[in-house]
Amino acid sequence: MWSLAVPNAQPVISCRNVWKLYGPKPQAYFAALTAGTSFEQMRGDGYISAVRDVSLDIAKGEMLVVMGLSGSGKSTLVRCLSRLIDSTAGTILIDGDDIAKMDARALIDLRRRKMGMVFQSFGLLPHRSVLDNVAFPLEMRGQDRHDRRARALEVIELVGLKGREDYFPRELSGGQQQRVGIARSLAIEPDIWFLDEPFSALDPLIRREMQDEFLRLKQILGKTSVFITHDFDEALRLADRIAIMKDGAIEQCDTPDQIVLNPATPYVAKFTEEIEKSRVIRAGTLAQAGTAEGQALSASATLHTLARQIAQDSRDLIPVAGPDGRVMGTLNRAAALDILFGAAQ
Amino acid sequence: MTSHRTGALALLALALILALTRNALPAGLMRPPEWLVWPFADWLNAAFAFCQNDLGLMAVTRFAAAGIAALLDVTGNLFYGKARWPNLGPLPWTTFAITAGALAYRVAGWRLALFAAGTFVWIALMGQWEWAMQTLSVILIAAPVTFVTGLGLGIVAWRFALFERVLNPFLNIAQSLPQFAYMIPVVVFVGVGPKAGAITTIVFALPPMIRMTVLGLKKVPENVVESGLMSGANRWQMLTRVRLPTARNDVLVGVNQVIMQCLAMVVLTSFIGMPGLGQKLLQLMQSLKIGLSFEIGVTIVLIAVTLDRISRAWAEMAPKHFAKGTPWHQRHRVLVIWAILMGVAFALAHLSPWFSQIERSDAFSVAKPIDAAVDILIRLIDPVSQALRWFLITWVLIPFRDGLLWLPFTTVLALVMALGYAAGGARSALVCLGFFGMIAMTGWWDRAMITVYTVIVSVVLAALMGFPLGIWGARAQGRAARVLLVCDTLQTFPSFIYLIPVIMLFGVNDVAVVGAVILFAAVPLVRYTIEGLRGVAPELIEAASMSGADRSQLLWKVQLPMALPTILVGVNQSVMFSLFMVIIAAFIGTQDLGQEMQRALSTTDVGKGLVLGLAVAFMGLMVDHLVTTWSAARTQALGLEPPKRAA
Amino acid sequence: MIHRSLLLSGATLLGLVSAAYAQDSTDPMTIGLHDWSSQIVDSRVVGDILESVGDKVEYVTTDSQAVYESIRLGDVTLETEVWEATFGAAFTAALAKGGIVDVGTMDAVTREEWWFPEWDKEVCPGLPDWKALNDCAKLFATPETGEKGRYLGGPVDWQMHDGDRIDALGMNFTLVNAGSAAALWAEIAAASKDKRPIVVFNWTPNFIDAVYPGEFIEFPAHFDGCEDKPELGVNPKAAFDCGFPGNGYLKKAAWDGMEAKWPKAYAVLQKVNFTNAQLADMAKMVDVDGMEPEDAAKKWLADNEAVWKPWTE
Repeated sequence: MWSLAVPNAQPVISCRNVWKLYGPKPQAYFAALTAGTSFEQMRGDGYISAVRDVSLDIAKGEMLVVMGLSGSGKSTLVRCLSRLIDSTAGTILIDGDDIAKMDARALIDLRRRKMGMVFQSFGLLPHRSVLDNVAFPLEMRGQDRHDRRARALEVIELVGLKGREDYFPRELSGGQQQRVGIARSLAIEPDIWFLDEPFSALDPLIRREMQDEFLRLKQILGKTSVFITHDFDEALRLADRIAIMKDGAIEQCDTPDQIVLNPATPYVAKFTEEIEKSRVIRAGTLAQAGTAEGQALSASATLHTLARQIAQDSRDLIPVAGPDGRVMGTLNRAAALDILFGAAQ
Repeated sequence: MTSHRTGALALLALALILALTRNALPAGLMRPPEWLVWPFADWLNAAFAFCQNDLGLMAVTRFAAAGIAALLDVTGNLFYGKARWPNLGPLPWTTFAITAGALAYRVAGWRLALFAAGTFVWIALMGQWEWAMQTLSVILIAAPVTFVTGLGLGIVAWRFALFERVLNPFLNIAQSLPQFAYMIPVVVFVGVGPKAGAITTIVFALPPMIRMTVLGLKKVPENVVESGLMSGANRWQMLTRVRLPTARNDVLVGVNQVIMQCLAMVVLTSFIGMPGLGQKLLQLMQSLKIGLSFEIGVTIVLIAVTLDRISRAWAEMAPKHFAKGTPWHQRHRVLVIWAILMGVAFALAHLSPWFSQIERSDAFSVAKPIDAAVDILIRLIDPVSQALRWFLITWVLIPFRDGLLWLPFTTVLALVMALGYAAGGARSALVCLGFFGMIAMTGWWDRAMITVYTVIVSVVLAALMGFPLGIWGARAQGRAARVLLVCDTLQTFPSFIYLIPVIMLFGVNDVAVVGAVILFAAVPLVRYTIEGLRGVAPELIEAASMSGADRSQLLWKVQLPMALPTILVGVNQSVMFSLFMVIIAAFIGTQDLGQEMQRALSTTDVGKGLVLGLAVAFMGLMVDHLVTTWSAARTQALGLEPPKRAA
Repeated sequence: MIHRSLLLSGATLLGLVSAAYAQDSTDPMTIGLHDWSSQIVDSRVVGDILESVGDKVEYVTTDSQAVYESIRLGDVTLETEVWEATFGAAFTAALAKGGIVDVGTMDAVTREEWWFPEWDKEVCPGLPDWKALNDCAKLFATPETGEKGRYLGGPVDWQMHDGDRIDALGMNFTLVNAGSAAALWAEIAAASKDKRPIVVFNWTPNFIDAVYPGEFIEFPAHFDGCEDKPELGVNPKAAFDCGFPGNGYLKKAAWDGMEAKWPKAYAVLQKVNFTNAQLADMAKMVDVDGMEPEDAAKKWLADNEAVWKPWTE
């Protein structure tokens, strides 16, 4: 398995059977709820289950992308994780602490020390300059003016806005505004980074550029991140793991190539149909136990990048080597070519 | 909609039957019977007497008023040299012109700076300095106190839904209560003089400030709130550093309304001893000096526009960036220039008293030509106005008034219920019955009907003039702006100034009353017609034009239906303004609630004044309910954004 | 009890002593101003006189009826013109409630009555007789009064009983109440432009005398019991069958704490006394000559030192 997750360490975020119901009396309704009540039945009763029985573990340094169409509950889920809204049922542990049990002070403290969040419509304070916006979380926790300024300038430089410290949000383009949002979320050096559709409001070209920027930051910072998007391509590009949501429930949660190769439900399959799979699937994913001689393919490379090599290779089974250089298995050339040339299913 | 129609028609039929069988009706259905008329005024008076004497509330209010009075003494000393601490004043007029100019330059630029400074130069040159300063010394206390109190109450109302629910009906009534109704309790609990004027003004200007604060805080975008929370802001930080700054624009609209309300009260509060421009205006009017009172009216408008523009510009001011290392005097250039000019002003004031205060005898005046012009105008249109007066009185006003008084009160109640039913079903019908039923219970039925008659005639006549004017004004952008400017000016002009010319034209009778009211009633109609028409989505007009609609089809089939909800807001305001103006028109001579209100003011009858005021407020609230309900239904049907309303 | 009465008599004694010797309080006195010129000017005159003996004075504009309540509460210290017919009722009521004192009657007599401008005489030569006026009733008709003549009375709250008088004397007139004094003046001014015949409520002294010459209507003379004894007078069946009293009082009033707090000023106020001519003169300076009330007061004081100096001694 190709994953950054370290299996045995304690997960940074761990949630079990989390529910969020909207309606007149959600708690009472939930208590009386029988297993297997469908989304439509609940809606008939006047309740919307924005988050249904979600269980997830997110490991340190992992990048989980929650993907779903609008109304699928992905934004609600991330707000439950950050406790911007209280979940109806279930437990959410952050570094082993149950956030539902925290009082206001502890919650504020948690946010001041550990969490950063980026918002779809930026959420910048219109009356503050770039510098003051970025320094805002530091100001909230009472850091002194000089430290604040130094740290804010540091992150502003990191997101590439150096020289625009004194601008006001309305004087910046959408992409620049979101860079401010990102800088602000990073100012306190959070352990956990929430990103709620950060690039959805941007033009396609800018979005691409910001995704590259984001990958760069991720590389440098290696933070535990939860990234929300409705764009499947974006999810595939950025994710270590993807959780696909529909009607508040997680349909499938797996690595991008597993999702593309083995969609768990027809709903997930619909997303993967149009995807050029070779750009997602890595050699390591297709590798099966066995050995072969000769030059090996890199396990972490996508089939797309290996296309020429595979096409020119004459072996039926091509060896695949892991990051340490040892051969971990063999790739069936015919299967790889099927994926590359999109054989009829 | 259809079910509403049958219900409304049934009620209409009931009204008709009651009217037709009028002569056979028992007396109890003709006019409110004795058991229905409750002595509210006596109860209120007893309650007030209890508060005043037994609870010692008067000591409390007077103590609070003393606080305001102390502040007023300071500004009074600085502005016009009242003999109080700090005994520095009066400051020379030039310092005010310089300060206003510098402030305006800082927030907006040259044009506003010239206007603001020019306003004070005009006041000084016209010899109105002391009066204007007496007025300003109160406004510059009343406005900030209103701002702080309104902001505080607004925050509490926003924070605690229960408090808002309790507060809301009070705000509704407060905003539809005629100004005079406020003044009677103030005379008892606070006394007379500048402090009474300031407190009446504060009470009157408070509701819009509260409303705008609540509105602004509710409008703060969710993502800004969440970003504040995720930044680890605690409750206090959320309020002071996230929510309030983000709601700044709405809060400043509230500030602007406070300023406007303050100036609207300048003349009225002179009835309870507020000195300054308003008092002078009344005195001049008493001796028929139209030209001189007109000059004062212009001053009030100029002050209003200056304060309004400065506060508005402040709201929209873009903060400046300075390169690092810019020296202090360059970053604060305006402050430096202001300080230098102030120094010059004080020096000049030492050299010549002319730079300190221009005496009345040295002042300029344009009163004579204005008097002459008014005189000529009245002579010129006298034949027309006499004919108009005869026609209106004989054929419109007297028949309508007598008709309304002829109707059994039960007919009127059934009629308003029918209106309510048509607008919003059974619930609205009951709301309307509630409001008019309360009016019946006050025992002022006949007088209330005369008020209703004056308002209906005025609003209908105003609509006949206002709608065409609005439609004409909306045709071109530049024209719309000019018409709106005229509207603003007319509205800011103190209402009392209109009273004397209309009496000169029509004499002491209902035509003069209606004439004075129309001027006020037409303004919102014109304004909202223009805004509604100009707000119609351009792609709709393009689509209709491409479908081959000509100009009149475009107007009737597309623009007017789409603009209707906004126009209705105008109708609503028009009724509100008419009600306020009808009360003021009691100074011409009426037989309606306004006349009784005036009497209550002179006998300081708190209970009666409040009951009369509430009767007027209920009329306004009923119309407000009808229009809002109907307009909301229309808006929903058209899928439009709800029209913007002034708070 | 003994202690208390001792204390009380001590206080009274102290009050008397202070009345004779002590200085006035340094707090400013408040003088109420109303909406007619003679009152504004003579209030300023009194204010200036009090300042000349070392007191501090402030002015406040108040309603001419509501002022008596304000005086009772001590918000207004003194009032220079209490007219019998228009404000007598409010003043008497306030006296009964307590807190206000009558500081004496002036020489000036006031007259309030139906009034016509001189141009009326050209069309109705029998004026000022009330019977002649009644015969000319049609000349005063307007659209709203139909066949009957229109009489424009003062504001209702002045309680003139004009309607009762019209009935009692069987006059062919309809009463229309103006809403304010300004409305009366505006009506006269408008009528003067085309010399339209009018008959309105008016009083003397005021500035109209100087601007629009005219006369009061002569009704059957006022007599005791006219208001409450129907059997008396020209109409044996009705009250109010007479004119207004021709010589109403003009009084000064003050807060009852004034004597203790500003004894010197109170002594001056007791002596203040204006005549009809003086009041008309003050009104004229403002209403006809266009002076500011403050300036008019200064001019009057300068011109009439012989009149007011003795009041301060």
